[in-house]
Amino acid sequence: MSVLPSTRIYEGTRIPSPVPTILEVDPEKHRLEDILRVNFGPNHPSTHGVLRLVVDLDGETVAGIRAVIGYLHTGFEKNMESKSWWKSVTYAPRIDYVSFQANELVYVMAIEKLLGHEIPRRAVWARMALAELTRIHSHLVWLGTSALELGAISLFWYCFDDRDQILDLFEMVGGTRMHTRYFQVGGLAEDIPPGFTNEARRFCESMPKSVDEYEAILDRNAIWLERTKGVGLLSADDALALGQTGPMLRASGVDWDLRRNTPYLAYDEVDFDVPVYPNGDVYDRYKVHMDEMRQSVRIVRQCLDRLDETEGEPWIVDDRKVVLPPRHELHTSMESLIHHFKIVTEGFRVPEGEVYVAIESPRGEAGCYLVSDGSARPWRVKFRAPSFAALQATATIVQDVLIADLIAAAGSLDPVMGDADR
Amino acid sequence: MTGYESVPGVVETRVSFDEATLVVDPTRLVDACAHLRGELGFNMLVDIAAADYLGWGEQEVAGYIGTAGGRDLNQAGSHGLARGPEPKPKRFSVSYHLLRVGDEPARVRVQVWLDDDEPVASVIEVWPAADWFEREAFDLMGIRFEGHQNLVRILMPEDWEGHPLRKDYPLGGEPVRFSDED
Amino acid sequence: MSDRPLAQAGLQSERVLWPDRGPGVFEQEVANIEDALLTTTIQKAIAWAQSHSVWPDTFGLACCAIEMMSIVSSRYDIARFGMERFSSSPRQADLLIVSGRVTHKMAPPLRQVYDQMLEPKWVIAMGACASSGGMFNNYTILQGVDKIVPVDIHVPGCPPRPEALMEGIVRLHEKIRAGVPPAYQIRGVAQ
Repeated sequence: MSVLPSTRIYEGTRIPSPVPTILEVDPEKHRLEDILRVNFGPNHPSTHGVLRLVVDLDGETVAGIRAVIGYLHTGFEKNMESKSWWKSVTYAPRIDYVSFQANELVYVMAIEKLLGHEIPRRAVWARMALAELTRIHSHLVWLGTSALELGAISLFWYCFDDRDQILDLFEMVGGTRMHTRYFQVGGLAEDIPPGFTNEARRFCESMPKSVDEYEAILDRNAIWLERTKGVGLLSADDALALGQTGPMLRASGVDWDLRRNTPYLAYDEVDFDVPVYPNGDVYDRYKVHMDEMRQSVRIVRQCLDRLDETEGEPWIVDDRKVVLPPRHELHTSMESLIHHFKIVTEGFRVPEGEVYVAIESPRGEAGCYLVSDGSARPWRVKFRAPSFAALQATATIVQDVLIADLIAAAGSLDPVMGDADR
Repeated sequence: MTGYESVPGVVETRVSFDEATLVVDPTRLVDACAHLRGELGFNMLVDIAAADYLGWGEQEVAGYIGTAGGRDLNQAGSHGLARGPEPKPKRFSVSYHLLRVGDEPARVRVQVWLDDDEPVASVIEVWPAADWFEREAFDLMGIRFEGHQNLVRILMPEDWEGHPLRKDYPLGGEPVRFSDED
Repeated sequence: MSDRPLAQAGLQSERVLWPDRGPGVFEQEVANIEDALLTTTIQKAIAWAQSHSVWPDTFGLACCAIEMMSIVSSRYDIARFGMERFSSSPRQADLLIVSGRVTHKMAPPLRQVYDQMLEPKWVIAMGACASSGGMFNNYTILQGVDKIVPVDIHVPGCPPRPEALMEGIVRLHEKIRAGVPPAYQIRGVAQ
């Protein structure tokens, strides 16, 4: 099956021009005296954070829209330039704060690409398992909050209950529920604790049943179908032109997943399917999210088996110029002491160069463009944020929808404002 | 990496860390991008990253470099003598990361080098995704894109002065006060 | 039970449980306020009612908002305090939980939301970023939300666990029941 679909969702392009992200009111379709300009946000009931939409309404129809972002611009990139490589990893998970380990993963992988290290197998499997658990976590938060906005309020509590089980697993490995900072340059910060695989297997037993429950509530629910079918259409050509990736692209019929098309870590050694749906509306994006949750459980099971097989193997690279030596060696070996001192005070140095590494985060392609000048601090870190690209599609997908559909469509873009604003 | 010889305006081709970088003359950027999209099938613009190289190479690197191969004692500069990084041609670089979504995935980076206040053409006609990425590069780095109809600030407040991610812009913030001081 | 006035007002705070610790800022403030203690039964009843249904405002900004959402979830149920009714309209909210980093662009909307709330109103600065700017001491983040709104309770953490936020909320309830006035009456914004 080819990557690009052969059928079209709509003819031509719906991207507004001259500015693709601003939908101007068309004077032929709406009388300008009827237009009411309403401001959504930045503080609003929709739980996507501080997104501001300036909407021109003709009655209940959306005639024009413009998204204003920047209310959460934290200056991550400039802060990371002033910290050593090790300390700057702490900033990375707070960017996309719903799928936090995805950001850590892409940043750490970019540094490792510059260093040229090969990560031990145990660390690769652990990273994959945690990345897929992060994907399930992110989709649960998305489902809970999107369903809450569209009126399926009880789903919020069901999804967050499952999410608490995932956060328990993260707490087991990383010590804290969110922002674990468990991925270290060279592997993992510490070994996977004993008992983790059993707990995670128990979660994998219960998760598919939960997904079945959610689908039973929503899949053929008349209100859900009315509110999501045919809403927020985006064709494959428009999606590619607007730089969409992830569930937005797969719901428009494009069979593209970085885990399968350009595999990283060990995704080419596990079996999983990539859900693709042809209609490009909110309902298909919802179906993509649900199927991805199931596939992620499948991947986690396979990674847990491999983790059990690699029990006792190293979890971090053995290069003492980059990784701290084990503490017991500091009492006996002079070189270990010197390495420890150099790494902790000045930090390790990364060779000069520039790289771009991309992974499939739950929102799409999350990338990190890293420029190093050979010193102990990054020179330029730029994160390619999937939410930033997704929000550019707002003007395209809400043409002539009602105001209630605007909520559904904006929710289906899955924006996280920390990611969009960085 | 072969296959990029037909792209117009390419000044230099670099391959490092398995990535191809095409350095393009800024005046021919739109031709190069249109060719890459039309003929070579790079249908998605993934990212536009601007970088400021003011002060590049002034902090000298001494001592060992942490690489996987360890330290090569026979390589000049690895004994503790200072060796700076390779100098850059101009102050700013704007890197366009392109992706071919299709049956033969490929990535390429198109790079242009600019001086302070030197504008570059906008590629919004080639990929509409460039809209907000160029606004962000303008907002944070001060690079002007000609042909972009809405080049206003996007992340900083509209009345902000200065371009925060430039190297001569301070990090900002406040000095931290401790409770036993006054 | 120690013989501090707060203990007599029914406080269960851990400073009461560890009487050999000196008085903290919280108790200093209470001791400095002459009429902080509720004397009449009507005042005590009003304070009891207020503390049992503090309705928060949905001011989730960043990562702390995700932990604030999980305090609504069934494991760390906030409905047992009567607080599950998050109101998006500040006119109907009592408590502003500022959860997340506040940028200079977001500061005017935050102050506007705070001004729209009706008295009595309380503010919890949740997390390190709201309390002091957190790990982001830079050009764009407000170094502590108490520079623009008076804050009653700071909850540390990055992000604070739901139990930590609940500790902050419980202390707020104790404050209300003890009769401590909301922050806008006893202190202004930080300098």
